[in-house]
Amino acid sequence: MKRWSRLLRQLAGGVLELPQDVVLEVPRITMIGHLQMYIENHRGVLHFSEKELRLLLTNGQMIVSGEQLVIRAILPEEVLLEGRIGGVKFLETGPQGS
Amino acid sequence: MRNGLKEWVDGHVTITVRGKRFERLLNMAIREGIRIWNIRRAGEELTRCDILIRDYFRLRPLLRETGCRSHVEDRGGLPFWLVRLRRRAGLAIGASLFFLGLYMLSSFVWTVQVSGTRHMDPQKVLQAAEQIGIKEGAWKVKLKEPLVMQKELMSLLPEATWVGVEIQGTRVRLQVVEKDAPVKPLPTSPRHLVAKKRAVISTILPEVGKSQVKVNQLVEKGQVLISGIIGNETRQQVVSARGKVRGEVWYVSESSLPLTQTMQRLTGESQERQYLLIGPYAVQVWPLNKQPFARSENTESRFLPSYAGYTLPIGWKTVHTSETEPVQRQLSEQEAAELAKRFAREDILRMAGKDAVISDEKVLHVTTENGKVYLSIHFSVIEDIAVEQPIVGVPQPPAGTGKP
Repeated sequence: MKRWSRLLRQLAGGVLELPQDVVLEVPRITMIGHLQMYIENHRGVLHFSEKELRLLLTNGQMIVSGEQLVIRAILPEEVLLEGRIGGVKFLETGPQGS
Repeated sequence: MRNGLKEWVDGHVTITVRGKRFERLLNMAIREGIRIWNIRRAGEELTRCDILIRDYFRLRPLLRETGCRSHVEDRGGLPFWLVRLRRRAGLAIGASLFFLGLYMLSSFVWTVQVSGTRHMDPQKVLQAAEQIGIKEGAWKVKLKEPLVMQKELMSLLPEATWVGVEIQGTRVRLQVVEKDAPVKPLPTSPRHLVAKKRAVISTILPEVGKSQVKVNQLVEKGQVLISGIIGNETRQQVVSARGKVRGEVWYVSESSLPLTQTMQRLTGESQERQYLLIGPYAVQVWPLNKQPFARSENTESRFLPSYAGYTLPIGWKTVHTSETEPVQRQLSEQEAAELAKRFAREDILRMAGKDAVISDEKVLHVTTENGKVYLSIHFSVIEDIAVEQPIVGVPQPPAGTGKP
């Protein structure tokens, strides 16, 4: 059943040319150089330290690594992160991942 | 996403949270709708973040739940400002009293200026202004609209054509435009108008008095044109005769003109000299030597910086000298006669006075002798021939029954 709905969504995204983040419930990330990062559609903070921010996603996790990280603002679905961002990594733990 | 003004108005605190499960606390707080910002790690199990005062109290049950402890480090925003201000009440009261005083003092009229008076006494304008409330120390709120005050002032000052009222801060400017009183003719004594030359009357327009002559009548010098005695035999009155009498006067003008004319012509050689003006002295600056021209024409221009009626004593003068040379020109008899006629015409008109018109001219004869043209021309000129003559030895009006 879940596979069907996924397929339907992907199809809708393709046919109607809707933005992927709306359709697939994946985060939308906006970066300004390596200084600022704006993440939408997260599902909560898993870990936060000066060197790492780990966010929960709909299916999986997202790891932002860097230095002197500061969360400038945070809302239920949005995070504004500042600092020297070194890298972004995704861990898929979705239905097909585990 | 963030509202800086709201944060400042509501007041915010910087807190440090000590505890292992800070992330859980963060998620719960966000879900509750608590606004947290500027989150940064200060060490192991120690996080610093900013939060609204209002939300701080909502955060406390969550802290207990997650086993964290908080400590307020810094306070900012309006509520804390007010607390601090209450401690320095004197300063606050003083500052507000200052602004209040400034505002109150600026709502009074402190100076009244009058400008534009020439014959009128400015004091009179000030008195009129005081009647409608414009005076030093008046409260501006009580004053009416400037346009209304203008009308009232204008009715109080009949001598003024227009009065402008302008309020500039604490200063009221009254701009007065005075009526130009019509120039009264000088009172003149009883008089006749008599002819100053032998002439033929062409127009006569008596304004005051009785005309004694008709158009086309020949009048001798001294003949009464407009009489200053009016009325009949029984009732007579002496007035100051006034009017316009124009007559045709004949002149015979003799003029001569040499056939060789000497004129000055520019050769093209010129020199420009610069002078520095210091007070009444002019110091030649450039060039140092003066060009030796036998004959020359000078034009000079001065530059004296002045501002608002004051002139600096230091200035600059530029003299442009152009060399000239005399040129002989031989005129034909015809040309010379024309030129002589023109000179004669100008001469006659100068003699006949202003608004004289040449009505006719006739060349009587032309002769050329010794390189000169001699002309005699007859001109008839229409000019003003009236001249005043006081009436003396006549009883003055109240008696009114004298004979001239």
